[in-house]
Parts: sequence; structure tokens; C-alpha cells
Amino acid sequence: MSLFLKDLDKVYRYEDLLYRINHSSVYKPCIQTSDLYDFFTNFLLGLVSDSPLVLLDADLNFSELFGLNVRGINIEKSVVKKQYASLEDLVKAVQTSLSEITIFTSGTTGQPKQVRHTVQTLTRSVRIGAGYRGQVWGFAYNPTHMAGLQVFFQAFENLNTLVNIFNRSRSEVNAVLESAAITHLSATPTFYRLLLPVEKAFEKVQRVTLGGEKSDRKLYDFIRQLFPYAKINNVYASTEAGSLFAARGENFQIPENLSGKFRVEDSELLIHKSLLGQSESFQYSGDYYRTGDLIEWVDESKGIFRFKSRKNELVNIGGYKVNPEEVEAVLLQIEGVQQAVVYGKPNSVLGNVLCAELKVLPGMELTEFQIRRFLQGKLQDFKIPRRIKFVEQFLLTRTGKIKR
Amino acid sequence: MEQRVLDIVNVVLENRSKTKVNNLSPDDKLRETLGFDSLDLAELTVRIEDEFGVDIFEDGLINTVGEIYSKLG
Repeated sequence: MSLFLKDLDKVYRYEDLLYRINHSSVYKPCIQTSDLYDFFTNFLLGLVSDSPLVLLDADLNFSELFGLNVRGINIEKSVVKKQYASLEDLVKAVQTSLSEITIFTSGTTGQPKQVRHTVQTLTRSVRIGAGYRGQVWGFAYNPTHMAGLQVFFQAFENLNTLVNIFNRSRSEVNAVLESAAITHLSATPTFYRLLLPVEKAFEKVQRVTLGGEKSDRKLYDFIRQLFPYAKINNVYASTEAGSLFAARGENFQIPENLSGKFRVEDSELLIHKSLLGQSESFQYSGDYYRTGDLIEWVDESKGIFRFKSRKNELVNIGGYKVNPEEVEAVLLQIEGVQQAVVYGKPNSVLGNVLCAELKVLPGMELTEFQIRRFLQGKLQDFKIPRRIKFVEQFLLTRTGKIKR
Repeated sequence: MEQRVLDIVNVVLENRSKTKVNNLSPDDKLRETLGFDSLDLAELTVRIEDEFGVDIFEDGLINTVGEIYSKLG
């Protein structure tokens, strides 16, 4: 019998999971827990009972929960006892679940919004088959968010092993990658950057997936050094729609069977409402949802495109609009710069002042003056950060993205 | 405090590849005497706020070095 989950020194087998599902008579519709096994077993129990689930981040505090307007946190509710003879029966019951699953956007801007999904919208891009057996997945996402749910379903429906590495330190992740023989990784670019500098290569890793943020060529080079035998691909998934398209490299392709479900207006990607979860806070343009993601066609006839930036990420500097990602890309050209975050700091003179935080490779010395000098030849004046700080660590949001 | 303001003004000037100044007088005008544009002024406020915790432009624009001193005084 294969392993379901490794979490630090705790190990759970798939038969433990089946036993627990078959012997539980209660579940928590609205669960908040930092224990990943409890979270997943409760989640599966709710799904196979066709009962609603509300997934809350483990680290939400009282006032944040109050703002979300959820009631009955961790209150148990009885369910009919299950009698699954095999794990295959359990997987089948999950796949045909009628549950409504409520998740929340990560709230990098303003109040988190709730979105209601079905198992069908959450598992749209799950692939099952003999070729997917025996994989060991590093679980590097928050389980209450879209990306974490994608990884969970992909692994669970193939009865693969999950290894919890969410919010672990660099040295812990390095140790577990090797000791648990992880073969598949899906994480944010930020997660991979935190593994730098490259000290050794992980040769067992077969596939590395990046999602959630725009990545850059420098990061791809690092990832190739870290995981020399891995195929690297990018994934586009959103809280609103789940996973829609994946592709290798920095391009994405709209699947042929979904080609009528997308539109592009003023470079912005629009998604047909039939592909989305349910939410009162979606802004529709006719039957289409505005993603706020700006894209560029690589080959329009084949539906291949790449992401340029987020629409609302432009920083207004005294009336000039600056795209932080453009500035970050130039900063990353500087020898020794490992990671850069550019953001606007509210300012009484200009509305915002452009600021940058840089992480430099160990042993490298850079000064603010050198950086500014370099940028002067490459960017317009208003795009040059007026305050540059050198940091050891960036602040991350709950989903592992960098807070601007 | 006046020495720190001089240092900060010189950081802003240096970052813009402009000539540094040896001293400041309260009558020096930020725009005319020191040649600051609005981006420089914004940088100046951020750096002074970092150091002194005071947003010197909070109640409106400031024109002279002396006005900075009195905000920080």
C-alpha cells in the first residue's frame, strides 16, 4: 500500500486514510487547521458526503475571520458512515461529488473574496492514468487555495504520495527533496528562488511547475541547475477559474475544446462565465469575466500566447504609469542580483514613489548608487526606483507570492 | 540634524549624477538652488521620513531648506 502523506516525521498510508474515512461519522463544514492530514481527511469526507466545505487559511486571525463573515468554524456535523471497499471506490466518489467548495482569494489587494467551486471545476486539468502512477509530489502550496487544491487532486486521484514542504525553510526543503525522493514539484517562482543559491542538484525530480507569478529567464536557468533532469512548465490557474491552460516555457496555449470560451480585449484576457466558480464579486463584461491579466499573442491562430503583466499592477508615479515587472526585469540583468521586487510607496509629493528591494547573491557587494547608475542608461527617469533597499528576505503573502 | 539633512540632500544629488553641495543655507530653494525636480523631491521626502519619521510635505509643498529644518525641529 502506498503512502498518502508525509508531514515532518509523520507518515500516513492510503489505507490509514481509507480506514479514517470509513470510520468517521462527523466532519467540519468550515474547517481551519494547520494539520495537513486533518485538513485533507476532513476535505475528502465532506466531498464524499456531497456536503458543503468552506476552506479557511490556518493563519487567519479573529478579526480577519470576522471580516470574511463565516460562521461555525470547526463545528462538527454528522454524516452518514461510509463503506468504501477500496481506494478506487473512494476516488470515484470524490470525482462525482456534488459538494460546493468555498475558497477565498489571497487578498493581496483589499478584502478577500469568496468563490464557490465544484469538484468538476477544481479538477478540470487533473490527468489520470498508468503514466501518472508512483509520483511523489512536494506539496508547496497552501491547501486552502486553488494551486494547492490542484496539486492535491492530481496526486490523490492517482494515489500518489504528497510530501508537505509548504512554509518550510530552505534547509528543510533541501533535506526533504532528497530524503523523500520527490519527483514532482509545483510551486510559485518565489518558492524556487528561496532555494537559491544552487549548492547541489536534485536529480530525481522529473517535473517542475511554476505558477502564480510571472517568472523570468534567470529563474529558469537556476531551476535547470537545481533540477537538471526535470521538465519545466508553467501553469495558469486562478482562484476564479481553476487551472485552464498549461504549457512549457513562458507560453500558454488555449486548448482547442475551450477555444470559444476566451476573448481578448485591449490585451486583457477574458474568460467565459461557464468556466468559472460562483461569486457575487466577479466583474462581468457580458458573459465574460475580466481577468486583469494582460497577454500578447505568440501565434493567434493556434491560440498560443504569453503573459505580459497584471492590469492593476501599474504604479502611478506623479501621473506616469510604471509597470513594476518591467523594472524588475532590468534589475535582474545586474550581475549579482538574485531577486528584485519593485513597488509603489504612497508619497505626499507624487502619489507614489517607486521603491525596490533587492536580494543579492551571497558574497556580492552592491550599492544603491551602482544600481541607480546602471538603471540610468536603461530606463526612463520616472521608472528608476528612488529608494533601493537590500534585504535578506521578502514578505510573502499566504499563497507564497511576494507582497508588493 | 542639519548635517543629516545635508547628507540626505547629497545622496539625492549623487544618485542623479548632479554636483554635491558642501553646505546648505536655510534660504536655499529646493527647486531653484538645488535643482530638484518633483521626482527628487519625492525621493527626499522618503529618505527624510525613513530617517526622522516625519513626512515633510504632508501639509503641502515646501520650498526652502529652512522649512525642512522647522518641520524637523
